[in-house]
Amino acid sequence: MGRYNYYKPLSLDDALALHDKIPGALFIAGGTDVMVKIVNGDIEPSALISLRSIPELSGIKENGSTRIGSMTTISELIEHPKLHKRYPVLIEAARRHSGPQIRNVATIGGNLCNCSPCADTATPLLVLDAKVRLRSIEGSREIPIEEFFKGPGETCLSSSEILTDILLDPPQREARAVFMKKGRVHMDLATASVAVLLEMEKNTCRRARLAAGSVAPVPLRLSQVEELLEGNIISSELLDRAREISSETVSPITDIRATEEYRRRIVGIYVRRGIERLLKK
Amino acid sequence: MTDFHYIGKETKRPAGPDKAAGKAHYIHDLVRPGMLFGKIKFSEHPHAHIKNIDISRAERLPGVKAVITAYNTPELRIGFLRDNFALKKDKVRQYRDEVAAVAATDPETAEEAIRLITVEYEPLPGIFSPHDALKDGAPLVHETDARGRARSDNVLPLRFHHESGDLEVGRSAASHSAEGEFSTPLVQQCCMGTAGCIAEFSMSNNLTIWAKTQIPFLAQRDFNRALSDMGLGGRNTRVIVPTLGGGFGSGLDTHTYEYIAILLAFQTGRPVKIVYTRDEEFAFLSPRQSTHTRIIQGCDSEGRLTFRHVEVLQDNGAYTSWGATYPSVMMLPATSLYRVPNVYFDSKLVYTNNTYCQAMRGYGNPELTWALESNMDELAGEAGIDPADFRMINCNEPGETTPMGLKVSTCGLKECLESVAEKLDWKKKHGKGKRRGVGMASLMHVGGSGRIYRSDASGLIIKLDDFGNANVYYGGIEMGQGLHTFLTQAVAEALGIRPENVIINPTDTGTCPWDVGTHASRGAFMAGNTAILAAEKLRRRIFEFAEELFPKEVAKNIKKLQKKDPDFKAPDFDVAAAAKRDRFELKDGFIFIKDAPAEGYMRVELGRLLRAIHFRNQGQMLTADVFYDPPNELPDFEKGYGNISATYAYGAQGAEVEVDTETGEVEIIRMAAAHDVGKVLNPQTLKGQIYGALAQGVGYALYEEIQSHEGRILNPDFRDYKIPGTLDMNFPIDLEFIETDDEYGPFGSKGVGEPGLVPTAPAIANAIYDAVGVRVHDLPITPEKILAALNKK
Repeated sequence: MGRYNYYKPLSLDDALALHDKIPGALFIAGGTDVMVKIVNGDIEPSALISLRSIPELSGIKENGSTRIGSMTTISELIEHPKLHKRYPVLIEAARRHSGPQIRNVATIGGNLCNCSPCADTATPLLVLDAKVRLRSIEGSREIPIEEFFKGPGETCLSSSEILTDILLDPPQREARAVFMKKGRVHMDLATASVAVLLEMEKNTCRRARLAAGSVAPVPLRLSQVEELLEGNIISSELLDRAREISSETVSPITDIRATEEYRRRIVGIYVRRGIERLLKK
Repeated sequence: MTDFHYIGKETKRPAGPDKAAGKAHYIHDLVRPGMLFGKIKFSEHPHAHIKNIDISRAERLPGVKAVITAYNTPELRIGFLRDNFALKKDKVRQYRDEVAAVAATDPETAEEAIRLITVEYEPLPGIFSPHDALKDGAPLVHETDARGRARSDNVLPLRFHHESGDLEVGRSAASHSAEGEFSTPLVQQCCMGTAGCIAEFSMSNNLTIWAKTQIPFLAQRDFNRALSDMGLGGRNTRVIVPTLGGGFGSGLDTHTYEYIAILLAFQTGRPVKIVYTRDEEFAFLSPRQSTHTRIIQGCDSEGRLTFRHVEVLQDNGAYTSWGATYPSVMMLPATSLYRVPNVYFDSKLVYTNNTYCQAMRGYGNPELTWALESNMDELAGEAGIDPADFRMINCNEPGETTPMGLKVSTCGLKECLESVAEKLDWKKKHGKGKRRGVGMASLMHVGGSGRIYRSDASGLIIKLDDFGNANVYYGGIEMGQGLHTFLTQAVAEALGIRPENVIINPTDTGTCPWDVGTHASRGAFMAGNTAILAAEKLRRRIFEFAEELFPKEVAKNIKKLQKKDPDFKAPDFDVAAAAKRDRFELKDGFIFIKDAPAEGYMRVELGRLLRAIHFRNQGQMLTADVFYDPPNELPDFEKGYGNISATYAYGAQGAEVEVDTETGEVEIIRMAAAHDVGKVLNPQTLKGQIYGALAQGVGYALYEEIQSHEGRILNPDFRDYKIPGTLDMNFPIDLEFIETDDEYGPFGSKGVGEPGLVPTAPAIANAIYDAVGVRVHDLPITPEKILAALNKK
């Protein structure tokens, strides 16, 4: 492990200015991914700039829509008195994120910026049509979360940008959503995960949002399945088709956790089961 | 002794509060003045010639105090076959081969120095499966044996074999037979505390080593031999064992890193510490061996076993540790679990370029029982007999002598099977299919230590102090299993003092008597028997002295009372006349005469009597030492015969599972476990042993596997080596202890350290078969394997 300086700025402007000044500096949030990479020798930053003491990045604010500060820990999400009622799918996913000790330090912003295809909070945010706010010295911008993920470990963040907020629209009263995750054991990185959100009008699906994790280079919207479902009565045949399309449209890899075939299979099964579960609700 | 004060009751763990508060000193916490940090450079090839090692850049790094290789240090051969070396010369045979090591003033410098060492290799073709190792023309992992004689194949010169009865007779008597091939993976002990040591030399070149070991005295012998090889013949090693964060067999041999620390400490003249990181522990410490077992069993039309044929092939990896002797334990279930008259057992161990293996909890028994108990269900299916009934038909019984010559003193297997069947509601639930199923499996294991070495003994010393405390010196290892808890209870019970007056001293070869090691589920069995013998010695001496001194102390009591209360009248009891050694009793730290009036002043506190014995002309202090070698035999392993243990532990476990036939996932609904433990010594500790082992068994069944590609370990971390967590063990475990009150066990007990994981995997596999009609033959039973089996069906 190399040596590096550690900075803990007290404002967002200071953090951005520091980063601008120190070549090779890296922002660090909870550190549960960054530190592992440093210890393994995968990255060698010249300095770490901690975002932990920046008040602008913490806290959850609600006035109709919801703003989640990027330094909100996974535990804080779970313990928040209202979030689990307003966005239960996000909290279901947060509960399946790692274990209690890691959840106490890992942040939602870090989970997204690490941009692992298996990031547990990514798929629920995709089906909730979340937006993220990014800030640099030049200013800030807001983009849909779908555009945030570019490739494995690669986001649209420039190296001098900070993800400051996750923005969620007020929940639609008719929307129901579910998160499903397959691991080798309960506490595991997802072998495959699926989030499904449906707005039903009697038997007809008015709006559908589906996303899958660990089955593509990035957390993936399953747009073809959404198109298949929207405007249609969800029949058993349609469910079979949804399962098939899900398995076909993803592009998983074979690795130590599972084979490509198994991941395709699980995504299809979970899409079908997820929809079925929502229809029963 | 049947009316126990402390045995059978829960006693606090002596080190519990310290461990909870972070005050217990594990090897990671220990620091010695002037201590350096050692780090090892491991091979980058599974099989290669070493062409050149360049250490010059590492040597020049400030803070580096020594850089060693096999070329600048004495050759240290290790392992009982002497086929391993502390540092490798000329050739590497596995990825984890040690080619160089450094000692530096801090861990970061040591790590940096390791990076600066460059090694040139000439890669050689490798062997990565035991089947390939047996092929004609396979590359040789070792060209010569330890004596330099040329080797012609990769088979280890170790023979474990058994034949009894007549297999042909057994075959022709069989109406049904079933054959199966089963395999088990490499799995890791996964100690919470990783491996490590500190080695330190005195100016007279005696060595002190703080070692994470389960065999301090065998380690002392190994290290003394190393000293001799270093030109320090006649110098001595003192092994001190710090608090251990788990052992599970990983401490049953000495390790290369220990010898490297010794070489570095000698070279630098300073204490050197080497502690493995978690990644190093996974990649560079020896796991449980992988096995391939072929088994055929047959039974007659009544379901009675007529023969059993077992052949085991084990991947030993590149070098040999004591773990290579797994077949010495495999023989037990192979010959003696259930009554079977005609048995053939053979095992073959082969060298490969995979990581070399060592002992782990169960020591061959889980591997063999996996094959045997899965095959029992296959055979029951062939014979059309309910698997629970089939096991009962063939159940072992007390008093029998098995084909291996095991003398079964007590046996609660029948009761265990009945318990599991009842708890699982077997008759109602078995054979119903519909993705839910129940399964069971039995086990037998050594329960009265296991003689696999020339001595199977343990010594124990109790030193009484002036305050009524018993200071205990014992060579057995507390590694989290609760040995010191039980030793405290045993000494308190057998001596007649309170547990808080028992002090267990750290294990140290300098102070404790010899002990072969804490293996073979022998911890409590040996600690209990030695404690009882030592306590008896002390009681005898205390009561001898009491004849003279006890009446004087009682007289003082009475005088004191009379001073307070002039009306006090001494009872009409002649204390001096009654003070005879056979009439004394010692309980809860007080001595009294058994038939004397039960008054406080008729009792004398032990400390007071000990002071009276000590502080007078020609006074004495009382110490007792004992050395106990249990009544068992070192078997002839080539013939597979001999009563290896003083008594045998039995048990059965069962599982109810639900299988998701779409995803292949197995959900355990409940488990039942019943174990013949002889006698419950401490309910909480015992439950901990069984629950913990059963969880390891669940991991073995469903999750755990060291995955490797051409000898390189691919999942050296808990991210990808999955063990069951609390949420995976979130099902009821119905646990029952069968007390058979064994005559050889202390207070009637049997060893139970290992049994809890032995039958778990086959019980789960049998339940899966009952649920969905498919059987996976190679552990772990992953969802993908279940789907593949369902597809084939």
